[in-house]
Amino acid sequence: MTSRSRWKAWPSWAAMFVVLVALLAVGSTRDSGPLNPGDRIDSISRRVACPVCDGESVFESRNPASEAIRAEIRASVYDGTATDNEILASIANSYGGKVLLVPSSSGFDALIWALPAAGLMVGLVGLWFAFRRWREEAAALGPPSTEDYSLVEQARQARSEHVCE
Amino acid sequence: MSAALGNAGLLIVLVAASVGALATAVAIIGGNLRALRQAPIYAAVIVGGAVLAVISMQWALFSRDYSIDFVQRVGSSTTPTLYNIAAMWSALEGSILLWVIVLALFTGGVALRFVRRRDDELVAWALVVMYVVMTFFALVSFGPASPFAPGATVPIGFDGPGPNPLLQNHILVLFHPPLLYLGYVGFTVPFAFAIAALITGRVGEGWLLETRRWALLSWGFLTIGILLGGWWSYEVLGWSGVWAWDPVENASFLPWLTGTAYIHSVLVQQRRGMLRVWNLSLLIATFALTILGTFLTRSGVINSVHAFAAGEIDGYLLGFFGIVVLVSLGLIGWRGDALRAPGRIDSPMSREGAFLANNVVFALFAFIVLLGTVFPLLVEVFQDRQTVVGAPYFDRLSMPIGLVLLFLMAVAPVLPWRRASTETLRDRLFWPAWCGVGALAIAVAVGADRLAPLLAFLLGGFAAGAAGRQLLLATRRQGLRGLVGRANGGMLVHIGVILIAVALAASNSYTHSATLTIGRGERVEWAGHSFEFVGVSTEVTARADVVMADVLLDDKKVYAPAVTTYLQQGMTVPTPSVRTGLTSDVYLTIDGNDPPATDASEVVLRVFVKPMVLWLWIGGAVMAIGTVLSALPSGRSRRPTDPTSALVSGGQHG
Repeated sequence: MTSRSRWKAWPSWAAMFVVLVALLAVGSTRDSGPLNPGDRIDSISRRVACPVCDGESVFESRNPASEAIRAEIRASVYDGTATDNEILASIANSYGGKVLLVPSSSGFDALIWALPAAGLMVGLVGLWFAFRRWREEAAALGPPSTEDYSLVEQARQARSEHVCE
Repeated sequence: MSAALGNAGLLIVLVAASVGALATAVAIIGGNLRALRQAPIYAAVIVGGAVLAVISMQWALFSRDYSIDFVQRVGSSTTPTLYNIAAMWSALEGSILLWVIVLALFTGGVALRFVRRRDDELVAWALVVMYVVMTFFALVSFGPASPFAPGATVPIGFDGPGPNPLLQNHILVLFHPPLLYLGYVGFTVPFAFAIAALITGRVGEGWLLETRRWALLSWGFLTIGILLGGWWSYEVLGWSGVWAWDPVENASFLPWLTGTAYIHSVLVQQRRGMLRVWNLSLLIATFALTILGTFLTRSGVINSVHAFAAGEIDGYLLGFFGIVVLVSLGLIGWRGDALRAPGRIDSPMSREGAFLANNVVFALFAFIVLLGTVFPLLVEVFQDRQTVVGAPYFDRLSMPIGLVLLFLMAVAPVLPWRRASTETLRDRLFWPAWCGVGALAIAVAVGADRLAPLLAFLLGGFAAGAAGRQLLLATRRQGLRGLVGRANGGMLVHIGVILIAVALAASNSYTHSATLTIGRGERVEWAGHSFEFVGVSTEVTARADVVMADVLLDDKKVYAPAVTTYLQQGMTVPTPSVRTGLTSDVYLTIDGNDPPATDASEVVLRVFVKPMVLWLWIGGAVMAIGTVLSALPSGRSRRPTDPTSALVSGGQHG
């Protein structure tokens, strides 16, 4: 083992893993405090559709209807008593469920969540079957024959002649 | 006069394309070499006709020829010259005309590039396919979406409204749509060669090599077009974002996803002769999705802020989409035996294994985006109610996919073809992995939190380390020449993608915003910045009144978010003012739609502090450079005995 490859041996990888986990733990568990009111208003208004525009959220839209909903959200946030979900529920109550930009996970709407999961499963199972088939095909070929070795040797010679030219 | 010339131009395109398609197909089938050699001439006529039509339209806009309906709707004497040029693609009919000219230029480019091989059946069939696609768009442009249709009689002194105000207040409007169209339409070339390969039975790797650069450059145009759209959105719309998952944005993203999968998986076919059906399917999907996207957003079936008024072309687009899919799938079925892959992927831990995984992820991503885009339509059809699927849905699902793609970008470049040993992986991934840990350490040190963005920084650093390692090895061997060629140019593209991914993770996770009410002369501090409302200034032109709130930022420079009232349309458009920095942007916009009074005692501002936005545009530039370098020949010729792919039984000739 050279000194270069010793550097890259398993203990170094283990040390890297420890550092990685420590950094992720520190970063992901640190308490950066509650969102400021502006950020919270934005976060909620991104999840509400402008009721009269074409596909814009209340966050993006400058339509007076959106301005009104944003004002409602702002008032609720500064009031400080309702959670984000309670504010969203109250808006859905006033304007109808179609203003919520995140589809629900029940009824027909659940398809929008289930189909991607099904797609992922199909992809993974497809890959598993493909690799299994290829492995079986390779196994069925058996070990290389003398003829195979001579073919490789011919190719090698042709290649070295080409390089010499 | 403009209308007559324009219509004549479109008629020339329509006749040349349809006659060209028919005559060339008959010549191939009948083995008439003389007629076959004339096939490129039709392309020259098509280019001439399309140029005539576009010049006529530009002249009509420039001279305000209000005898034309389209000019009545988007022309105006007050529109500045540059935006007058862009007015052509500011509405449905003009955007189809833009498609016609870009497709004509690509058709001419193919005819010119392969002029010496014009009696080759593969090239001739590819030209036939391009002529057929050209016929369709010329038919739409000459018929239901005619930009030269006569308008109603207008009174003397009539002046049109000009383009939508949002399309005349930023220079990027000139570049974003044409580049996007170059990307969409450019994929017609590899699609045409794929269909030609299926028809002729020459389904080996020849057609891939012919179209590699066309596919790569089209993908590059699409990438830059999409990024410029994001930049335009950021600079113009005032909500401080670059991507809203709007249906029109999704329509451009879908072919990008399948196109990206294709330019990766095509390497497996070139090297190992595998994934033939998959690559053909990806190309067909990419082309078909450009048509489907155009249908979804131009037919009015899905609401979008970008969508043009519903025209009469939805039936045409849907019909053409159906024909493209049916004919393509029929041809694949017909050539089924010849397309069977002669090889196998030995191990998932190989370059080709990683490409396969990459393709599954991209295909899943495209499926999710398509599902989210058409889901409101499905709900309306099956449940007779309205719903909207917005950014939160797409954000939630695209985040894990983005992380998986970053991981694959880190691992794939170091994997050898066929099989990787544990030692190889341990050796080659060591420093890239430390780069990832280093990036994470820096992120944690500057205060980053939450798991998702931290993973993005970690995997971004990891992937950048892998790409950097590859570039370092290449430049050590070959100097700067090592940056040229498919593999190493591709690594530069990866670095661009990583910059964009990290910038998106940072700006989406750590943007702070506030609504600040600032009195005249008052200085307000927020998020480490100071804002002083200096006063209100105005700019009055024949086209628009601009009212700006002058705000002194950090006691250094005055920024002027504005509300512009376009007089012809009577529409107010808030325009943000942005201080761009290497680490963060400060984005100022006036709250609400109403311009402040000139003597206003206070102004209400929406302020966003957005980290790393500049790196989105730098990443885009790196991607563009990398794409160009990828398309250049690397100078390393493959030895004839190197295994690229096995011969296909039957049909392989020439």
